[in-house]
Amino acid sequence: MRLTNRREFEQLAESAREKFAALGTGGRWSISVGMSECSFAKGARETWDHFRLQLERAGIQHDLRQVGCGGWCWAEPYVIVSGPSHPAVLYGNITADQVPDIVRAIEQGAISREHAVGIFGDADYDGIPSIHSDPFFARQHRVLLADAGVIDPTSIEEYIANGGYSAWIKALFEMTPEQLIDEVKTSNIRGRGGAGFPAGIKWESGRQARATPKYVACNSHEGEPNVYKDRRLIESSPHMVLEGIMIACVAVGSQRGYNYIGGEHMLAVARFKHAVQQAYEYGLLGENILGSGITCHIRTRTGGGAYICGEGSALMYSVMGERGQPRTKPPRSVEEGLWRRPTVLNNTETLAAVPAIIRNGGAWYAGLGVPKSTGTKLITFQGPLKRLGVVEVEMGISLRDLIFDVYGGMAEGRTFKGVQTGGVSAGALVESQLDVPVDFDSLTPLGGMLGSGGFVVFDERVCAVEFARYLMAFNRYESCSKCTPCRLGNPALVEIVDRIRLGRASMSDLKLIERTSKHVIELSLCGLGQVAPMPLLGMMQAFPEEFAEHIERHHCRAGVCPVGQQVLEPVAAD
Amino acid sequence: MAQDVQLSDADLEKVRALLNANYNPQDHQEAQELILGALQEVQHLFGWVPFEAARLIAEHLGVSENLIYGLLTFYADFRTEPPGNHFMLLCHGTACYVGGSQRLIDTLRDRYGIGADETTADGELTVQIVNGCLGVCDCAPLIHLDHVYHGNLTVESFVEAIENAKRNGPARRDHAAH
Repeated sequence: MRLTNRREFEQLAESAREKFAALGTGGRWSISVGMSECSFAKGARETWDHFRLQLERAGIQHDLRQVGCGGWCWAEPYVIVSGPSHPAVLYGNITADQVPDIVRAIEQGAISREHAVGIFGDADYDGIPSIHSDPFFARQHRVLLADAGVIDPTSIEEYIANGGYSAWIKALFEMTPEQLIDEVKTSNIRGRGGAGFPAGIKWESGRQARATPKYVACNSHEGEPNVYKDRRLIESSPHMVLEGIMIACVAVGSQRGYNYIGGEHMLAVARFKHAVQQAYEYGLLGENILGSGITCHIRTRTGGGAYICGEGSALMYSVMGERGQPRTKPPRSVEEGLWRRPTVLNNTETLAAVPAIIRNGGAWYAGLGVPKSTGTKLITFQGPLKRLGVVEVEMGISLRDLIFDVYGGMAEGRTFKGVQTGGVSAGALVESQLDVPVDFDSLTPLGGMLGSGGFVVFDERVCAVEFARYLMAFNRYESCSKCTPCRLGNPALVEIVDRIRLGRASMSDLKLIERTSKHVIELSLCGLGQVAPMPLLGMMQAFPEEFAEHIERHHCRAGVCPVGQQVLEPVAAD
Repeated sequence: MAQDVQLSDADLEKVRALLNANYNPQDHQEAQELILGALQEVQHLFGWVPFEAARLIAEHLGVSENLIYGLLTFYADFRTEPPGNHFMLLCHGTACYVGGSQRLIDTLRDRYGIGADETTADGELTVQIVNGCLGVCDCAPLIHLDHVYHGNLTVESFVEAIENAKRNGPARRDHAAH
């Protein structure tokens, strides 16, 4: 269905809203199964198949829908059931063998208490609490995740029914590019990829750049080893990311936007490509969109499993079909980016926030979070916690609240030892530091970093030295090898840590680590090298006694290092 | 690249059909942009990127073979050797590491004699250690074996998953696609 003017869009939106509101009413049941890469791993496809067969066999009037990932990975595979006799209820851990229980409950018009996580709404029902009485849900402020787990990610109409593309309509017909940029500047949203550069200012520089054509690029590479927010977002709300890129194109004055997605995130790639195709079919992309005279095209490009391609200039080389190796700056990419033309590069999460900012105004967004870090942030946690998943919280929440309230604290029988922050680019924090607010600026003085919002909690089973070696080895492996300090410095650091693990080091090796790190940090060209030794330095700062124990007493608390297994002469550091 | 493995005419025809269907750039810029995608699709097709297929891509998009070789050796996902009967992605992201994925890697070395990107001598199992993350962190440590996830692994259940896969006979070749 190709729309040719604004009125047709409004009509479509009206009918889409009615259709969406009718789900689970009129004697029909609506059964929504979370279908994303994380739920496939836990058998959601089988759950879906069993529902399809058993609902049909039971003769129940129903719509079986797929929705994205709601972020509650701990409850997957999950199902949301709503129907004539009770409000929407969230069921958790519904593997294929639990399906008969749920189908029987639907037949009886009742709720299966055994599997219910909560009522998907504000009020309790029949003794089953609302999900909002659970801190995991109550403490979230879902802007980007508003549609996640609610709409079918493959349906453009369900996105439109929930307010989707209304910001795009504003950008086409009501606002000038300058006004769009002003709203984003007012919102004070900072780059969600980790650097925290204000997006509005970047857009403005892009708009002012004189060379043409200009490009917009979205960084959905997400190669970091403990972050999965962007792919879950794209798997759940691909149109939201797409709309953000489209608005950025208009604001900057570009007719072509790119989304660069890590090639290993296959479902995210497929869903995003599908979304682009739908937007073209509906006439929301292309030439003279809805008669506005505006042209916008979107291309999807995929990477090949190189972490470095998340770096701005490397990403652009990769889009251009080259090896992803960073270059010196200036010129910055807003001056010379893709095809040596001005290119505005933003993170997926930043661009996904744009439709809400344009719909509700920059001032609304600036009112969320804390003054210097406005808005909400997607956070992922891993490690031995009670619950795991993606949450969206306002900036400024403390790490302690996140770990012990939102995520429910440590799993049974595990004791908190530390939390690795900033992916592989910063240090770990210990228990006494947990009251720090989570925002762009507060974690850095402690040796941590917000980065892209990925945190890993670890317990006593993890050895600080071995963990530091793991993080260093990651950066060594992912170095693109272009500049010497990073290419040679990181392997040298791994070797020194190995010496400590083997019980062959002396205390002066710790000084050597600091000296070598200084060279790598100060002399490397790009962001990877400049932070590569940070996790090691951070680990040494957080757990100095463990390093000393390895070196002086040949003892590893966690019992995982081969320290002391063989008696060897200490090797001099210099 | 393994030049001694010959693709059959039927396979070459598949590559040509794929290129003709989806890879028709308007200009040289777009041709450059399409290389990585074409290589990925070929890898999905065969489980690796054969030399002749890479050459077809070079011809089709009007770029040099050298450039393609440079890409194949830079990006970790590409394989230039055919994988074994079973293909495993072993997640070694931070969450899996904290959950003990290093013990799984040690097991591969000690019991099967292979490390990252290697195939067992009997040609049964190829492993790719994923430095990034498979993104299913609440099941850590986790593998993706012949297109099926196995999570919350111990060394015992890890070995069991491998042995089960071997007993079930060779997986479809396109299962090695990643």
